[in-house]
Amino acid sequence: MIELQNVNKVYRTKTIETTALNDINLSVPAGEFLSIMGPSGCGKSTLLNIIGLLDEPSNGSVNIAGTSVTSYNGKKIASFRNEKLGFIFQSFHLIPDLSVVDNVELPLLYRKVGSKQRRMMAEAALESVGLKNRMSHYPNQLSGGQKQRVAIARAIVGNPDIILADEPTGNLDSVMGNEVMDILTGLNSNNNTTIVMVTHDENMAKKTHKLMRLYDGAQVK
Amino acid sequence: MIKHIFKLIWNKKGANFLVLLEIFLAFLVLFAVLSFVFYNLDRLSNPLGFEIENRKYVLFGDLEEMDSLTRVQSLDLMKRSLEDLDLVEQVAFSNDVRPFGGSNYCHGNDDMGYHIEACYGVVDHNFIETNGMNIIAGRGFLEEDVTAAFEPIIPNKHFMDEFYPGQDMIDSIIQFQGEKQIIGVIEAYKYNGEFEESDNRALLLDRSEDDYVLTTAFLKLDPSADISFEEEISNTVQSVLKTSSFVIQDAPLLSKRANLETWIPMVALLSICAFLCINIALGLFGVLSYSISKRKGEVGLRRAIGASGSSIIQQFTMEIVLLASLAILAGILFAAQVPILDLIDVEDNIFYRGIIYAAIIILVVVTLCALYPSIQASRIHPATALHED
Ligand SMILES: Nc1ncnc2c1ncn2[C@@H]1O[C@H](COP(=O)(O)OP(=O)(O)OP(=O)(O)O)[C@@H](O)[C@H]1O
Ligand SMILES: [Mg+2]
Repeated sequence: MIELQNVNKVYRTKTIETTALNDINLSVPAGEFLSIMGPSGCGKSTLLNIIGLLDEPSNGSVNIAGTSVTSYNGKKIASFRNEKLGFIFQSFHLIPDLSVVDNVELPLLYRKVGSKQRRMMAEAALESVGLKNRMSHYPNQLSGGQKQRVAIARAIVGNPDIILADEPTGNLDSVMGNEVMDILTGLNSNNNTTIVMVTHDENMAKKTHKLMRLYDGAQVK
Repeated sequence: MIKHIFKLIWNKKGANFLVLLEIFLAFLVLFAVLSFVFYNLDRLSNPLGFEIENRKYVLFGDLEEMDSLTRVQSLDLMKRSLEDLDLVEQVAFSNDVRPFGGSNYCHGNDDMGYHIEACYGVVDHNFIETNGMNIIAGRGFLEEDVTAAFEPIIPNKHFMDEFYPGQDMIDSIIQFQGEKQIIGVIEAYKYNGEFEESDNRALLLDRSEDDYVLTTAFLKLDPSADISFEEEISNTVQSVLKTSSFVIQDAPLLSKRANLETWIPMVALLSICAFLCINIALGLFGVLSYSISKRKGEVGLRRAIGASGSSIIQQFTMEIVLLASLAILAGILFAAQVPILDLIDVEDNIFYRGIIYAAIIILVVVTLCALYPSIQASRIHPATALHED
């Protein structure tokens, strides 16, 4: 499902050159739940962005869901992300001016799904994260755990093959963190969704199939 | 997508209200100024009715102290002496109602159930030709008309269209200061200048027996005549009238001066409008740049879930264009009352044009202001945008 070969990522600024990723090889089969751990600044987010096609590797090849990715601009990559990938972020990234259900509908809007169908799918996604009764709330009326569950609903509403989660429980206390984690493991086992999750929490990592450790941009074997 | 954008606008109504109000007010100001400009330009496009190039006017005032015989003789002498000058092609006379003179004699009376009203000038039989006026029906005055049975009258087209539309009135007798026979029709006679509104005008022939007093001589000059020729005219007139209490005016100059009286406020208002538009543009530009920079996270998120760069541009531009459209719509509701309720007695289509052009200008300005920050937003690297906040 996810194949990275010899992926490097170097950030160049005027003064310094940072090697964020160093020769990463990664193969995640369909249905696997992979967690990535490592100290701050070791390149976890960078790796996730490269898998999510939000960032371009300096060199190496990226193959996602059977498609070898070469171009990072234009409508094609946008609709590829829309159909194959779901994103969850530490800081939720809900749009504050949209209600919960409108936030969840967002990926479908870019897929040009009709409004009735959109509403139905969003309701179903919210139901699966247990927030159907909060549909018309606004993000600032929700707790952190609820916000993250809305973000999960948004990530799964379009039925992606892969979910990429960057520290999804990082801003949550352990009770809410566990709720979110349960939803993710449920998704993985029930829908066979491939999940790659960055985490700082060993307990969360233990619940996944496989753990990858990064140190200074390189895999720890 | 449009519904989605309306939702975003509506849910930010607090922040958007001031922008809306600003655009609404700007629309109304622009509408008012453009209507004023269109009104004037429309009048400018109507024919003046007489030529001004190579024309000079000699204002000698009323020769009231002369008895009517001496007066006729003096005018005759003045005419012949002026015509004798090499560079003078034609000479004519009129009363005080002359181009750019500011005088107005108007008359109204009932004629066969119609109320006829018009302002008129009294002229001699050379006046129409000397001033290059356009006769669109019948004929001009002839010397023998001075002694004809009926006093002749030559109305303008506006007069005929208003009182006798579609009728052939040549040789008909009408009531206008007594019985007058229509012998011809002139195209126009906007003697207050290019910006005068077309109205009812008529020329009457000076028949000397009446108390009409000719006060102005009109000279058609050879194009080669320059300023120094004014002195020759001056000497000639002085030798006839034995006085120097007369003024020589240059018709093109008079026209230019009269036009400036309208151009100056018009240009001033347009400059204020341009200034207003620039202000709004800068203001909007600042507000948009700021609000879009605050929404970097949203940009990144939208990119991550499937928005292409162009759909980011589209969304942010549409947000402000839709907002502006709402403001303009509200503005139109107000502005349209002017023609609908006939608040100002001017042709309706001037206001409709004002509305359309004001709307277009505002939409263009707003779109241009929105485009740049939107393009900036679309260039934000999605990974970077998501990283912030
Ligand atoms: N846009 C960028 N420009 C320059 N350097 C960058 C950029 N993004 C990341 N880096 C650098 O790349 C390295 C890896 O960053 P990354 O965000 O992937 O770390 P991380 O493992 O996710 O850390 P954290 O656990 O704190 O989120 C860091 O040294 C960071 O400073
Ligand atoms: Mg990170």
